Amino acid sequence: MIKALGYFIEIIKGSIITTRHFVVNMHFHILKVLGFKTKRKGAVTIQYPEQKREIASRHRSLHRLMKRADGKPRCVVCMLCVTVCPSECIYVEAAEDPDPEIQKYPSIFIIDLSRCCFCGFCVEACPEDALRMDTGKIEFAEYSREDMVYNLEKLIE
Amino acid sequence: MINIFIDDKPFKVKEGTTVLKAAEEAGIAIPHLCFHSAFPPEGSCRMCLVEIEGLPKLELACSTQVREGMKVSTRSEKVIEARKGVLEFLLAEHPPDCPICDKAGECKLQDYYEEYGLFDNRFRESKEKKQKNVKIGKSLILDQERCILCTRCVRFLRDITKTRELGVFNRGLHSEINTYNGEPVNNNYSGNLAEICPVGAITDSDFRFKTRNWFLKEGESICPLCSRGCNIYIESHKGFARFPVPKRVYRIKSRENHEVNGFWICDLGRYGYSYLDEGRLDKICVNNGKGNLTWQECVVSLTDEIKKLHSAKKASRIALILNLWLSNEELFLIKKIFVDDLGVKNIYFVDSSGGETDDFLLTSERCPNKRGAQEIGYDLKPLDSENLMNKTDLLLIFGMPAYDPNNLAEIKALFENVKTKIYFSSHSDELCSLADIVLPTALIPEKEGSLTNVDGIVQKFLQVLEAPGECRPEWEVFVDLGRELGININYYKQFNTPEVVLKEMRKEISFFENKSE
Repeated sequence: MIKALGYFIEIIKGSIITTRHFVVNMHFHILKVLGFKTKRKGAVTIQYPEQKREIASRHRSLHRLMKRADGKPRCVVCMLCVTVCPSECIYVEAAEDPDPEIQKYPSIFIIDLSRCCFCGFCVEACPEDALRMDTGKIEFAEYSREDMVYNLEKLIE
Repeated sequence: MINIFIDDKPFKVKEGTTVLKAAEEAGIAIPHLCFHSAFPPEGSCRMCLVEIEGLPKLELACSTQVREGMKVSTRSEKVIEARKGVLEFLLAEHPPDCPICDKAGECKLQDYYEEYGLFDNRFRESKEKKQKNVKIGKSLILDQERCILCTRCVRFLRDITKTRELGVFNRGLHSEINTYNGEPVNNNYSGNLAEICPVGAITDSDFRFKTRNWFLKEGESICPLCSRGCNIYIESHKGFARFPVPKRVYRIKSRENHEVNGFWICDLGRYGYSYLDEGRLDKICVNNGKGNLTWQECVVSLTDEIKKLHSAKKASRIALILNLWLSNEELFLIKKIFVDDLGVKNIYFVDSSGGETDDFLLTSERCPNKRGAQEIGYDLKPLDSENLMNKTDLLLIFGMPAYDPNNLAEIKALFENVKTKIYFSSHSDELCSLADIVLPTALIPEKEGSLTNVDGIVQKFLQVLEAPGECRPEWEVFVDLGRELGININYYKQFNTPEVVLKEMRKEISFFENKSE
């Protein structure tokens, strides 16, 4: 009996919060319509998948590998991103490039996005500006974990 | 002994040493690039400049001898300024290759720049173009741009190997290290060049671009590939959380020990580490249809077999084929159990036949513990399968990475003749499918123990790698076996570590009595 009463109280509390949000936001919207300038704006619901907010210029999103002028990856496999990564989600393997000015290029470059915490340390550590997190892609949900592992071809496109 | 002052602190040092060595012994590091303790001082890099009271100019710490009452300062403003200047000139021609350079992380030039430099490049001239990828030996790649002309490599080939394959060519800005007429560096110690190069000018193609050196964990070990027992570092990679690396061991480096190998190791030991990862046996195989057995069950069934033969007074029908990769402790335990307790006489040794020797480090015996086996009291009989045919019921055989193919055929023929065959092996090979029980064993870096080298120096080694799968060190198995057999149970109860076994050996065998390390 007392337990049921407890639920009932919580329902009332919840309704009060909802009502308060409605009244407060409505109040600010009405003030705006009437031409009053207020510090706080009334909240607006964005219809997310159809309607998208603009992403801040300093945001961090899906990684991309940069290319040299001739299309080869800019990465020289110094492995600083691998070293600094706190979630150990990057794996790189090097191969020897015939060009003595390049010498080292990535034969494998994998980022396991299911582990990535988007701290951006890899981008900060990169001495060649080969890795950036500015694609603006923030939606990359997949049905399997394997699909979350991005390889060189996927990262460089 | 004379008194000197380094950075205002008094020290007593040996007469005749240099300032650099005296400071090093006192725990004060003086930066140096061209100086290496193995060679006489060269004084070409000018990094070790120190201020000595009473002398008008800065002096080279590597070549200045200590004098009574000498006052050296290694951290004065003048010295720091001089180091900065030297670094600036060295880096004027040194390319900023650190991201692709294998030496980055253990490069002395990089370390000193972090410590004393940290300036911006003031030179407007472009850097001198030189060859970046010259193959100067079997596994050596020279980058002339990175070279700071310390000539350590030239001096190594001049003083240590005396083969003189490298030299300094041209003058001034155009000076470069190269081979004479393209003759490559071709000696058994070439791998040391990549190790002593203070920068990344000479890199090792065996290690080149495989990984970065800060991922590697250094473990002190002993090289088992010949009876010299050179002291080495085994550098292994533990892998990343989600991505296992293709192998454990990436590099072998020499470890300083003036009694054994000095600063150097040979190429055979440096590059011959693939046996640690390739073809390893990591599971117990039971081929006699008894299903899957654990180690304990295997030891028990082996004990039962031995007990049966022992109680029927048929211990002479037990035969052992040993190898010389077993440690002193293991050979001692085998002797105690099988020779002293059971009275087994058929103990044979198989080993890969000897190889070439080179009068420096590499010996002709390609096994680490021949001397140890001799001193423990084995007479090292080579395998005599005719003597064993039809006279053997139980055969214990110890495999090892380097088998002599002749022995292999002989053992195979013998196998058809013997009732029970127990095979201890670290690697899976042809014998694994023929033996009744195959037990995986640990290799030398995966266990503890000691080895006796060709000169009779007893060297301890510690575990530096995880043993894969079900692999177990042999000494553990023998201690278990000794306890299970119950002939001398209290004697084997004391052996918890190889160290206790060695202590017991010191009591019983006079050769080991006075061997400290």
